[in-house]
Amino acid sequence: MTPDAKGETVLEVRDLHTHFFLRRGVVKAVDGVSFSLRRGEVLGLVGESGCGKSLTALSLMRLLPKGGAQTIKGEVLLGGENILECTPAEMREIRGRRISMVLQDPQTSLNPVFAIGDQLREALLRRKRAPLTRAPHAEVMKEAVAALRRVEIAAPEQRISQYPHQMSGGMKQRVVGAIAISGEPGVLIADEPTTALDVTIQLQYLKLLKRLQAETGMAILFITHDFGVVGRMCDRVAVMYAGRIVECGPVRRIFEAPQHPYTRALIASVPKMTGPVGRLTTIEGQPPSLMDLPVGCRFASRCSLVEQRCLDAYPGTVRVGDEHTADCWKATPA
Amino acid sequence: MSAPLQDQGPPLLRVEGVRKYFALTKGILFTRTLGHIKAVDDVSFDIRAGETLGLVGESGCGKTTTSRMILNLEEPTEGRILLEGEAIHGLQGDALRAYRTKVQAVFQDPWSSLNPRMKVGRTIAESLIVNAWGDRAAIDERVRELLVQVGLRPEQAQQYPHEFSGGQRQRVALAAALASRPRLIVLDEPVSALDVSIRAQMMNLLKDIQAKDDVAYLLVAHDLATVRHMADHTVVMYLGKIVERAPTAALFDDVRHPYTKALFSAVLEAWPGQAAEEIELKGEVPSPLDPPSGCRFHTRCPYVMPHCSQREPALREVSPDHFVACHLFE
Repeated sequence: MTPDAKGETVLEVRDLHTHFFLRRGVVKAVDGVSFSLRRGEVLGLVGESGCGKSLTALSLMRLLPKGGAQTIKGEVLLGGENILECTPAEMREIRGRRISMVLQDPQTSLNPVFAIGDQLREALLRRKRAPLTRAPHAEVMKEAVAALRRVEIAAPEQRISQYPHQMSGGMKQRVVGAIAISGEPGVLIADEPTTALDVTIQLQYLKLLKRLQAETGMAILFITHDFGVVGRMCDRVAVMYAGRIVECGPVRRIFEAPQHPYTRALIASVPKMTGPVGRLTTIEGQPPSLMDLPVGCRFASRCSLVEQRCLDAYPGTVRVGDEHTADCWKATPA
Repeated sequence: MSAPLQDQGPPLLRVEGVRKYFALTKGILFTRTLGHIKAVDDVSFDIRAGETLGLVGESGCGKTTTSRMILNLEEPTEGRILLEGEAIHGLQGDALRAYRTKVQAVFQDPWSSLNPRMKVGRTIAESLIVNAWGDRAAIDERVRELLVQVGLRPEQAQQYPHEFSGGQRQRVALAAALASRPRLIVLDEPVSALDVSIRAQMMNLLKDIQAKDDVAYLLVAHDLATVRHMADHTVVMYLGKIVERAPTAALFDDVRHPYTKALFSAVLEAWPGQAAEEIELKGEVPSPLDPPSGCRFHTRCPYVMPHCSQREPALREVSPDHFVACHLFE
């Protein structure tokens, strides 16, 4: 899909553990996550609510929610440098310029009481390390207009003086995108950016992201629960379950020959646009409590192929094909 | 369910030429009307007993306003809605209460549709109590029966909403809707807040209940794959108008209206099936305050013709029971 799919690794996450330390106990929300992201690549991170995909993203940005969340183990190598060891001041330099993020709800990402232009200006000046007050206004506004034009907003000259409430959801998400990429980051984390948008607007936004990526060569970590979006956007996909990546591989391989029973069940339960209309396959039961994880495979209690060894020990990561891994006892090593 | 269509007999619910205009006003004392938002503009369709009608479209197309009028939460500006041949607006007192027992709703967000301070058993019993359905013991028995019907345990009646997961809450909301044995349930995006694996469970459950109780559903949804699996008939709306209406299988086999085609090509399929023509729509849905003249879709339509902006296309039958409002088919 991308010309330089075998590009250099820009982000590598090794054995990341982010837990919530609560009075009731420890919630192991991210519990041993490893993956890498190459230049110009889109890696999908899919899973159901509570599997830890958003917390993984926040751990990479070092923007953990208040209230006991802590990254206790692992490495996040951004261009070879472990950013988990950076000081808060260094992190402020890194965010926006080297790694950026777009969230699901554009309404909460933008400040309702400032015009779009002012919010872009703040981002543009910060990225240039220019003092907010002394920059020549006209010049910065010209850049803001250019940034809006880049994300295909019509009539950007008029739009910069408007407020978020005067724009549609799709347009606001474009503005958020413009702010996120204004610092030319090497890595963009997109956390369900199109979930709140209508389908035709979602398609426009995804195409825009693809185009921007082709222009800048940035790597995108695309978090979603929607396999359709994965099929459209991603080169590789990592499937998360109960705090761990259980399967990771090229998109086509995962769709055509999923190796982990969870991935198989998840793909089978999606209603399709073609083929017979019958009863949908379901996954019975619930994911395990993240406060009381089993010693064995985390999917064992819901798995149709469960054996004794699945309950006794975690299977470990098996290489099942080219760039394709699965955490399952029954997976056949390539 | 997907039984062959029987056109005999009156429909369960008939929506007849319904319009809903919201006045946009300015000022408090000397109120001026600046214009009208034409949320729903001349919409007609039928729902038969025991069948599912899917209502699809993007935000602002009027699908929610239509369902609110069917729920009698909103009066139409023009037109009427009939349940079993009887007009539903203007009902009062006992007749209105009786209507509410026949038409129920399940909304999208299972977190906000249940009272957090009420045990779910009480929430489910509420409509039974209001309608003096029976004595305490009979109501308790019915609540237990409903919980089992939606796949929960009878003793869970004693729990509060926060003790349930999202999927379980949606089951509780469904149990509450089923309590009065309604003929029609309006399902407003019933599965879009749920996880993929839970979504499939809920869809199967809805189908099972329909097969057993012969209840009709009005399924308001934006996800075409969900509609395909659930609905017998599908209505596609754009800016307050029906643009296409057909039996679901016929619609999915042969999409006619350019807007419907665009909706279909915006469906992101993990397995791109038949390589249908892809239509990417430019721009956004125009404001319903000042909808485009002629065909409302002409500003975004890839097949636009000169007269599209002048004349409004009528909904016409292009093949048996398949209606399309587009000048391309005249």
